Amino acid sequence: MTSRLKSFGESIRLSGLVALRHWLVFRRDFFANVSPTLVDPFLYILVFGAWLGTQMQSAGPRSYLEFMAPGIAAMTALFTSFFEGSYGFYVRLVYENVFKALMTTPVGPREVLFGELIWLGSKGAIMASFVSLVLVIMGVAKPNYLLLTPLMGLLIGVSCGAIGLLACTFVKNINQFQAVYAWIISPMFFVSGMFVPTAAMPAMIQKVCWLSPFYHGVQLAQATLWAEGVLSAWIIHGSILACMAGLLATWMWHRIYPQLYG
Amino acid sequence: MSVQGAAVVEVKGLGKAYGKAQVLSDVSFGINAGECFGLLGPNGAGKSTLIKVIYGVVARSQGDVRVLGLDPQVDGKELRRHLGVVMQDDALDEAMTVRDNMLMFCRFHGIKGQEAAKRVDGLLESMSLSAKSGSKISALSGGMRRRLAFVRSLLSNPKVLILDEPTTGLDPAVRHALWDKIRELRRGGTTTILTTHYMDEAEVLCDRLVVIDQGRIKIQGNPKQLIQDHCLGYVGIFNQNETLSGNTVRQEYASIDAFTSEMKHGVRQAGVIRPANLEDVFLKLTGRDLKEND
Repeated sequence: MTSRLKSFGESIRLSGLVALRHWLVFRRDFFANVSPTLVDPFLYILVFGAWLGTQMQSAGPRSYLEFMAPGIAAMTALFTSFFEGSYGFYVRLVYENVFKALMTTPVGPREVLFGELIWLGSKGAIMASFVSLVLVIMGVAKPNYLLLTPLMGLLIGVSCGAIGLLACTFVKNINQFQAVYAWIISPMFFVSGMFVPTAAMPAMIQKVCWLSPFYHGVQLAQATLWAEGVLSAWIIHGSILACMAGLLATWMWHRIYPQLYG
Repeated sequence: MSVQGAAVVEVKGLGKAYGKAQVLSDVSFGINAGECFGLLGPNGAGKSTLIKVIYGVVARSQGDVRVLGLDPQVDGKELRRHLGVVMQDDALDEAMTVRDNMLMFCRFHGIKGQEAAKRVDGLLESMSLSAKSGSKISALSGGMRRRLAFVRSLLSNPKVLILDEPTTGLDPAVRHALWDKIRELRRGGTTTILTTHYMDEAEVLCDRLVVIDQGRIKIQGNPKQLIQDHCLGYVGIFNQNETLSGNTVRQEYASIDAFTSEMKHGVRQAGVIRPANLEDVFLKLTGRDLKEND
């Protein structure tokens, strides 16, 4: 039992080191790497929230900018984790041979994959929290439940990052990620309730939305950053998102593990 | 450190299949502590798959493998603490500097702080890479990259060193520098497993070797003994149609005199003679050249 625990602890340490390796590489080109995370939310706030929003009649208790703001935090976690899980992992796996090298050390396929999930989840958590903080400072989101945003970012990061990792096992070359983005990520993004309440969409779309982890991420973000119905949102959407993250991570694990360990 | 002569690697009836493709079949051999053991064969023979099974990143389909008493398939993580591996394609972390590549590997091996810095500095110095410590990998020449991959594999003071074509594409000076380092490690008791295309490399470095072809061991033994057992001593190479571009013909000779006598009497028009080597052994056993599949 003790040796099993020791082995488990060692596995966690090595997985953490895999994530640390990714962070050290990310840090080397920090400005370029964080630029999309900083610029995209700013542009969304400016163009959709501040400019387009003023041209629209508000149907609810909040301005369009306030309506859209939580979705921007969720969006940051979605994109940062999906692109890292898809393009980032693929480049590390196919072009840079990073895992091939790591697996000459005590690191095995389990640590490689768990390290990826730690990295994707952490990125999602940090980026979503940072954008949420900025939104609170701007006065378009409420600070009451700001401490929940890292967990929200983590869940979105793991589930959407796992989609990216899964995509790596289906594409035949790096170019094919464009199709994954166009047919899976884009619809998930636009039909999430971030721009338009899902209640305004056809009934069938509303039902399909429940299959999307990002939809649940946006619902979670809205409840958390509007400080409304937080408990029920975390019980319903938080649980579903956690289950989806677990299922997607498990599916990804079964698909990638044989590629790393022939 | 293992006792000199004790079995460090034991491979029995090893088989590996990818779907219907059988990559390795009934491979058996043992490697003793302190030996330099060669795996020879043309590209696609199964050498790289075999060494991946040995260091535990490829699962075997049949047979049994023990390295330092451990099953690589079960105890791969523990096993790799005691191994150093240099892969065919360096696999250096392009995003990091030379020193950071080394330090990152120290972390994975659990080597920390001053000890890590000491080992990194010492190993970089041993391969004349200290001046490149802060350089990016892209700034290194092919030879430097290879030397870095080599010293990176030594960070954990490995009991077994696995070298997958360590000198392919290197200039003679770097090649000899690596040979010297391998010999030095061997003198220190390190067991070495070496795959190579270069017959001279195998002859100079290996105590014993196996020749693998199409996933099966064709022959194993001491390189010099194998040559003695299977060849006459010298091989004459002749162009069949007496032009430089013509197909070559090989002819074995027991002595140089026998060759010069044939030349004098006009049996052959033009040719060169050299000592028989492992390539001739392989050709004799398989009817094919070792480099045919390149």
